[in-house]
Amino acid sequence: MNSVNDSTETESIARLSVTSLTVRYGDLVAVRDVTLAFPDGRITALVGPSGCGKSSFLHSLNRLTDLIPGCRVTGGIRLFDGTDIAHPRADVLALRRRIGIVFQRPNPFPQSIRRNFEIPLREHGWHRRDIPDKMETVLRQVGLWKEVSDRLHKSAVALSGGQQQRLCLARALALDPEVILFDEPCSALDPIASGVVEDLIHSLRDRLTVAIVTHNLAQARRIADHVAVFWHRDGAGQLIESGPAGRVLAAPSDPDAMSYLGGMRG
Amino acid sequence: MSFSADSSTRTATRSGWADRAFGFAGGAAAFLTAGLFGWIVWDLIRLGWPHLSWSFFTGEVEDAGRQGGVGPLLISSVLILVCCLVPAVPLGVGCALWLSECVRRGSLTARLVTGGVDLLASVPSIVFGLFGMVFFCQKLGMGFSILSGGLTLAGMILPILVRTTLTALESLPADLRPAAAALGLTRTTSIVRILLPAAMPGIVVGVTLGIGRALSETAALLFTSGYSVRWPESIHDSGRALSVHIYDLALNVANGGPMASSTALVLLALILIINAAAVMLSERWMRRRYHPEA
Amino acid sequence: MTSSKSTTLSRSLDRVFRGVLGLLAAVSGGMVLLIVSYLVTGAWPAIEAGRLAAFFTDERWQPGSARDPQFGVVSMLVGSLLVTLLAVGLATPVGVASAVFHRFYAPPVLERWNRRMLELLIGVPAVVFGFWGLMTVVPLIVRLAPETPGQSLLAGGIVLALMILPIVTLTTQAALQAVPRAQLLAAAGLGLGRARTIWAVALPAARGGIGAGVLLSLARAIGETMAVVLVCGNIPQIPDSLFDPIRPVTSTIALEMGYATASHKALLFCAGLVLVLFTAVFVGWHSFRRQMADTGTGGA
Repeated sequence: MNSVNDSTETESIARLSVTSLTVRYGDLVAVRDVTLAFPDGRITALVGPSGCGKSSFLHSLNRLTDLIPGCRVTGGIRLFDGTDIAHPRADVLALRRRIGIVFQRPNPFPQSIRRNFEIPLREHGWHRRDIPDKMETVLRQVGLWKEVSDRLHKSAVALSGGQQQRLCLARALALDPEVILFDEPCSALDPIASGVVEDLIHSLRDRLTVAIVTHNLAQARRIADHVAVFWHRDGAGQLIESGPAGRVLAAPSDPDAMSYLGGMRG
Repeated sequence: MSFSADSSTRTATRSGWADRAFGFAGGAAAFLTAGLFGWIVWDLIRLGWPHLSWSFFTGEVEDAGRQGGVGPLLISSVLILVCCLVPAVPLGVGCALWLSECVRRGSLTARLVTGGVDLLASVPSIVFGLFGMVFFCQKLGMGFSILSGGLTLAGMILPILVRTTLTALESLPADLRPAAAALGLTRTTSIVRILLPAAMPGIVVGVTLGIGRALSETAALLFTSGYSVRWPESIHDSGRALSVHIYDLALNVANGGPMASSTALVLLALILIINAAAVMLSERWMRRRYHPEA
Repeated sequence: MTSSKSTTLSRSLDRVFRGVLGLLAAVSGGMVLLIVSYLVTGAWPAIEAGRLAAFFTDERWQPGSARDPQFGVVSMLVGSLLVTLLAVGLATPVGVASAVFHRFYAPPVLERWNRRMLELLIGVPAVVFGFWGLMTVVPLIVRLAPETPGQSLLAGGIVLALMILPIVTLTTQAALQAVPRAQLLAAAGLGLGRARTIWAVALPAARGGIGAGVLLSLARAIGETMAVVLVCGNIPQIPDSLFDPIRPVTSTIALEMGYATASHKALLFCAGLVLVLFTAVFVGWHSFRRQMADTGTGGA
């Protein structure tokens, strides 16, 4: 495990970079002045106590914060190719295809498994005849193909929680995103399903850029190349420490980060 | 199931004369309610059943309704219903979608529209009749016709459709919307392909209730769809609904009672079946929401 | 990368779709304005001719009379109000008592079936109630008071009461259902008996909901036509007793619109306008309160 972490000490280019990002809900500042880069093909874990703005930060990365009335995001978010995500006239739909997200609670559409793929793929211009292949590929990727191939016409809501979460991951992968965000993807699952999903996330390394919010420091240590620690300070969520997982988890320089991460070393 | 809550209140201390008096009065009231409605149904069956036959459903109205059947009226009623639902369903569902997906709750425009729909629900049916007469029959030149009657009823059932659709949309899982947005779906796709299918059971219940309301309406049809008892040839013909027939027989036709009873029995049976379907659908749907495996 | 069809296209489609929904909403929300405006148009000849005063000052309603046309609507308004109040007065105690019984005394199965029955009965057509009243209630009243025609204020009140009974019962049942369980447990914890729990805790807590139900049924009853036109006797007068015939405003419109012309017709539209104002005040207030509660800006 350590060898993985160590190998990333050599910096790779940033697929997604955030500069001076601030997220406000009305008068409340959820996240203040965060600057962070997500290295290409690496897994970055965002950790910190509840209410420190990790999820707001994550959601602002593909503009899901737009859905919340009264929410304002300022600062810069840029993709590798220069696409300005935070720009008010940015093509939000296209960028959400490039930056996928998997939520805490599995949220398949209450329709058949097949429709769960057809709806987004058709929306983004896939031809109807290409869809079955694409669906099979991603379902195999998440190890769900054998379990569901004979009941693609059945309701996705009838699957178990872990299966639903893998379906949601497959659905996000089907759109060929460059970046995929996970918002505590395992916290609503039982330990076994959680392990399966965690392994899947780990398997995405090198192919995709991954950002994952997690409360589980052991999980962060197992899968992350980089770690960013958030903290609630001066009335707002802030980034207090970030860097290669090995260094940050073993020897954080910020005292708050040290006390928080200290919990996992005991 | 709020079973524990029920049992805790139901097993409260039972002593005292006041408790017994309350129980007795309440029981009497409940019995009275059920009894009175049983009486109505029994009366209609007793008076109306003997005249029911196949020819009652297919025959023409004869001797001002004292003889014959209600065949043309059934057709007219169905046509009125169609003319009512065709505009009302898109209007009601569209309005509810707009309120729930396109504007913020509590914003001024949302309040205005909600208030307008609530006020519409309060307009007495006879006033709908007046409006339908001047607007559809005269202003738009549709005359006394099935079309005029249907359009008038469309306004009447609109609030029911808006309310039920809105309730259905609001009770959908909250994370469907972010799920759709996160996949880069347009608002249109999200509404048409995901929210609308998910809310469909609620919409079906609303439409069913609307059908019941439209079928039972009389006052709004008096001056809009007219009294003609001929077989309607098109929606531009005048046509008498079943409910109007009952009114006419009871008020204007001497010895119209027996046939009015039969018509009332048929109408009541139709509406009870439709409403029972709505109640069953909504109960089944509620159950499925909470136990998706079932 | 098989990606995006032109997102500008789908975006403008999005805008069109939202426009269409907005239009549908505008039509739905604005329909009531259309109705009121056509009522005013219909009533305008009478308003313009200054007949509105006669509406309230004339003693009798004989708009067709060539020699002495009179347009007094007061007797009919009084008729409408009396029959409505009578109906609500009859239905409220029965409905509330029956709701209390099903909530606190009856086994849950009975409560569930009773609710289903009432939900069905809400849909029974008004004309069926009216017809049944004519066939059954009116003859009973004649037997009770042989000197009277039977078609009367009392008959109208009874039939209307039956019509609104399911509404009152269901709204009360819902209001009782919504009383927080903690309050009932607190009452039980203090050793209150069932009767006192109902009287001192449950009913006061449910007061708002019960009031709203009564208000709704009031609006429903005053606008009702078919249930009253067949059983009230339709003589425009202020009744001296329960057994006198009356003629509510709605019945007048239903009976006379068929042949009314000119100023007579305009006056019927005025009557319709008065009805709308009446019900709009009830329901508008209710809707306003609910929206206030929804957005959390209102009081308790």
